[in-house]
Amino acid sequence: MRNIVTIARKELQGYFASPIAYVVLGFFALLYGYFFYTLLWYFDRQSMQVAPGSGMTMNVNQMLIGPVFMNVSVIVLFIMPMITMRTYAEEKRSGTIELLLTSPLTDWQIILGKFLGALLLYTVMLSVTLIHVGTLFYFGDPEWKPVATGYLGLLLMGGCFISAGLLISSLTKNQIVAGMVTFAVFLLLWVINWIGQSLGPTGQAIVTHLSITDHLDDFARGIIDTKHLVYYASFIVFGLFLTAKSVDSERWRG
Amino acid sequence: MIEVQHLSKRYGPFTAVDDVSFNVGAGEILGFLGPNGAGKTTTMRIITGYMPATDGAVSVAGYDVFSQPIEAKKRTGYLPETPPLYPDMTVRDYVTFVARIKGVPAREVKSRVEDVMRKTHVADMASRHCGKLSKGYKQRVGLAQALIHNPDVLVLDEPTAGLDPKQIIEARQLITELGGSHTVVLSTHILPEVSQTCHRVVIINKGKVVAVDTPANLTARLRGSETLYLQVHAPGADVAAGLSHVAGVTRVKADLHDNGLAAVEVDSEQGRDVRRELAAAVVHQGWGLLELRPMRMSLEDIFLSLTTEDAGDAVEPAAPAPATEAADA
Repeated sequence: MRNIVTIARKELQGYFASPIAYVVLGFFALLYGYFFYTLLWYFDRQSMQVAPGSGMTMNVNQMLIGPVFMNVSVIVLFIMPMITMRTYAEEKRSGTIELLLTSPLTDWQIILGKFLGALLLYTVMLSVTLIHVGTLFYFGDPEWKPVATGYLGLLLMGGCFISAGLLISSLTKNQIVAGMVTFAVFLLLWVINWIGQSLGPTGQAIVTHLSITDHLDDFARGIIDTKHLVYYASFIVFGLFLTAKSVDSERWRG
Repeated sequence: MIEVQHLSKRYGPFTAVDDVSFNVGAGEILGFLGPNGAGKTTTMRIITGYMPATDGAVSVAGYDVFSQPIEAKKRTGYLPETPPLYPDMTVRDYVTFVARIKGVPAREVKSRVEDVMRKTHVADMASRHCGKLSKGYKQRVGLAQALIHNPDVLVLDEPTAGLDPKQIIEARQLITELGGSHTVVLSTHILPEVSQTCHRVVIINKGKVVAVDTPANLTARLRGSETLYLQVHAPGADVAAGLSHVAGVTRVKADLHDNGLAAVEVDSEQGRDVRRELAAAVVHQGWGLLELRPMRMSLEDIFLSLTTEDAGDAVEPAAPAPATEAADA
């Protein structure tokens, strides 16, 4: 455990010692701020149009916070490759992988450490959104439970992205290749259900289940469904497992 | 301390290391010598547990590196060919990080880090980023990293590469100091380094061990016979004829120059010192003896003759003997 924490700390330190963390946090804040502002503006305008006494109520959770979370997932999709692309590729290119692999660490300690490091940076990034959501709580009266499940969903989804990103980074020495492939895979995982209807009912069910962002919908609505938990958990574990296999096979091939 | 038995590493059809066996005793400094691509780095990577071998076994401090990697790695310090530094970390942060992952107990980390930085002369750069260091400093930080957990075994892949002459001397001194309390395996293609720092030498070529011995023995063993070099002032005389009848001399080769100087090479029977007799003979003939010295095969010559195919025949009789001895040891 101590080793995992040491690696995670080193990863996090690495993000903040280079421009990566600042670029990621800065641009996330910018994009997120923009989306939040536009969604808030629409919400504001709609609530103006609701005639008083018409019986129609405006739900902040459903009409603002939910869509905001879905928007976050799209920004994350674009930004996450930049967080994960260096994890293994950079160590391999600079030769520091030799240090890690000749230290008394297991492959799993290294992988989990890297996973945790990236997840912590992602958490810091998500915490930027607390400012805006906090504002809503200050001026409005949203329910906190759907907000909490929304964050849980975002964290789990981020975990999936990181796990896939680690795997892809472990396959190459080149950061750009790792970043590009990661982005393509994420994008595909996002839009995979768009093909749904042409595949017939069974095919549609399968691709909808595979889509990484589709599972977020329920979380953003305040529903914790074990189906989604199982999907995210198994996605993360499977990605890390393949990463372990990839690191091990790299070792044999030299 | 290190036992390497019938080690082989194959990449597909290419054999990088072929049935290499040797032992390194506790406190010994072993030099690993060979041309580029001979399999030095691969062998070292296997010893340090970076990659598994195709065949054979390696144990470090009694632990098999394949079946008990964690225990073996705890006792091994490794400096790869390029020091494995994180450019964005300061030297102190980096050494501290390595101390932690190598399992240095938490309360000793701080003092060990300062201690090792002083020992490797990098303390003055402690808060500089690793990426901004000169090659010499990078190499020494790499050495600090290898020493941090006070390992029994140190594996150094070309530890003096990229250092300036003064730093090379310092690094050699440090390595010599480390021998005794640590077992050191170092690879190099700088030959004087081996004769100065190493107790024993393994010469490897094309993945195979061609010789294992002390630098002194290697030099002595590979001399087929004792050869002396003389410079004689003997205008107009037949130097070769004049010296060939000296007792114990087997062959005389003389090059007479116009100015009356002759460069003479004299072979004598193995183990027989004929310098006194030769000097007496020269004086007796009334020639001037300007120079008389034994011709030793330098480590360079040995290295070249062992690793170059054409010259390989010249030392063929001597080479297999140490190699088989190593396998038995």
